[in-house]
Amino acid sequence: MSVLVGLPIALPLGTALLALLFPRPSTARRFGVVAVLAFQLGFSVWLLETVMRQGPLVLALGGWAVPYGIVLVADTLSAIMLGLSSLTALACVLYGFAESLREHEHPLRVPLLLLLVAGIHLAFLTGDLFTLFVAFEVFLLASYGLMTLQMVATRTRRALPYVTINLVGSTLFLAACAFAYGLFGTLNLSEIAVRSAELVGDVRLDLLALLFFLVFGLKAGVFPLYYWLPVSYPALPTPVAAFFAGMLTKVGVYVLIRMFGTVLPAELGWLHGLVAWVAGLTMVIGVLGAVGQSRMRTILSYHIVSQVGYMVLAVGLFSPFSFAAAIFYVVHHIVVKASLFLVGGVVLRIHGTDRLDARGGLWTAAPILSIAFLLQALSLAGIPPLSGFWGKFLVIREGLSQGQWTLVLLSLVASVLTLVSMLKIWFGVFWSKQPEGVPLRLTPSSRRMTAAVCLLVLVSLGIGLGAERVFEVAEHAANETLDRAGYVQAVRAVNQGLKGGEGP
Amino acid sequence: MTAQLDTALLVTVLAGGAIYLCLSRRFLRKLLGFLMLSNAANLVVLAMAGDPTGARAPVLHEGVDPTTAVDPVPQALILTAIVIGFSVAAYLTVLLYRIYVDSGTATTPRLERIAGGSDGLDDGVIR
Repeated sequence: MSVLVGLPIALPLGTALLALLFPRPSTARRFGVVAVLAFQLGFSVWLLETVMRQGPLVLALGGWAVPYGIVLVADTLSAIMLGLSSLTALACVLYGFAESLREHEHPLRVPLLLLLVAGIHLAFLTGDLFTLFVAFEVFLLASYGLMTLQMVATRTRRALPYVTINLVGSTLFLAACAFAYGLFGTLNLSEIAVRSAELVGDVRLDLLALLFFLVFGLKAGVFPLYYWLPVSYPALPTPVAAFFAGMLTKVGVYVLIRMFGTVLPAELGWLHGLVAWVAGLTMVIGVLGAVGQSRMRTILSYHIVSQVGYMVLAVGLFSPFSFAAAIFYVVHHIVVKASLFLVGGVVLRIHGTDRLDARGGLWTAAPILSIAFLLQALSLAGIPPLSGFWGKFLVIREGLSQGQWTLVLLSLVASVLTLVSMLKIWFGVFWSKQPEGVPLRLTPSSRRMTAAVCLLVLVSLGIGLGAERVFEVAEHAANETLDRAGYVQAVRAVNQGLKGGEGP
Repeated sequence: MTAQLDTALLVTVLAGGAIYLCLSRRFLRKLLGFLMLSNAANLVVLAMAGDPTGARAPVLHEGVDPTTAVDPVPQALILTAIVIGFSVAAYLTVLLYRIYVDSGTATTPRLERIAGGSDGLDDGVIR
């Protein structure tokens, strides 16, 4: 059964190749892609249920024994992330199909998105540091392609910060892989977990951990490495922007959770403190960046930075409860952020601009869209009983119980300012009057796009109302992530199933 | 592992020069900077195999003492890294050229000035 662990990578990869073989956008091609993504979502849910019941599934690629070969490990955290990425990909693809006519679809858009999904899934599943680097490169290259595909001439310069900062990040990551190999003599994450525990107090381990935080913090967009994010995301086509906004920075957060939770020893207290303070600054600086902006999608992009701060703060607080809070927050945030970007796309389609001061009147013209926005915006700001409230509540509760008063204060300030800028969007775009003589472009396609948004809104409502159950899953995932011995044991156990295999 | 001071110095020079070039205003210098930076990282990977002086190639058969061979893993890693670095460099070249064609300038300060008042985010219906 463990061979099924490879499916979330093989499925989008194979579908991408098939889509390249049949490049002409057709209804059958669209149905095929949606069917594959829907199946993948169902499979991820099944995988989550299975690994929660019987522990992590491990696949040794090529039958090579641990620690010599590459392993794929599906534990609860990986399965949660796979489910989220499948859901976001499905919603964004449905939205994209609703937005543009078949004849206008670029033949490369769907294959590139599927390659991006395959790369992200490899990052979630791999149990090997260098394969993680390769996974990052796979999805980054696909994301570069998606970003600049059909980009209009006035926007191409906006891709430059994203590409250059990720190039530097990848180079640092490669160097970090090299240092890890030099220090531990292995690239297998479970073996690194064993050997790094013996190096506690060694300054080389401290420097390596700091380098990892730099690399993955850059991918996650933490202060002061976030400049690229609000520049490039608003320039993307809506479905791509929504997927990036939902998933890409959260891959960085996932790797931070995995690295600090499972791989690096728990004794790096000084670094956890640094992580928490960097996160606190990220929350406030991100939200302050949004205050001066006058475009809906730019504001939303700054809020990604601010929200990443909450998740990284939960990682920095470093306790089983705070890890559960971080995972809950990731679940909430991916769904809410992707749907808010999709709402931004519908607004852009109806108004022709997403400037806050130029247009209005959507509250009467498109009530369903307005309600969807309001629900998600209030959720982002943390109003009970929506999902964002529980995410913030859990992080702040852990901060209070650890006596981190300043950080709690920072997160409350960020939360209030989030509400302010969400209300700014609400009054600017939805509540204010539409200027005389400017027609709203309400079309059947904008209604179909709203339907795709509603899919995510319903999931988000479900997370908010079923928060207790979601938190149980997150708690299970957090305990599993922090259980180094269990992880190592599960990965090493794969050797017994191999022909002629013997343990290290 | 003996100290590989020469490799360390080479990495320092490459990385330092690369950062200088990357921070330059001209596209071409930035591109060369990134190429140098990825080479510096590749050298770091290679250096992790240890000092190769006197070691034999990692081709093992009977009668060969495995401890006298160099570590082959960094060489496999570096090969992957070179391929990835090449494809990313190719992409960056095309992107910089596209920006040059679209905006008519090959330096970053002028790029900001040309953009001026418009942020290019309106009427953005990409079909």
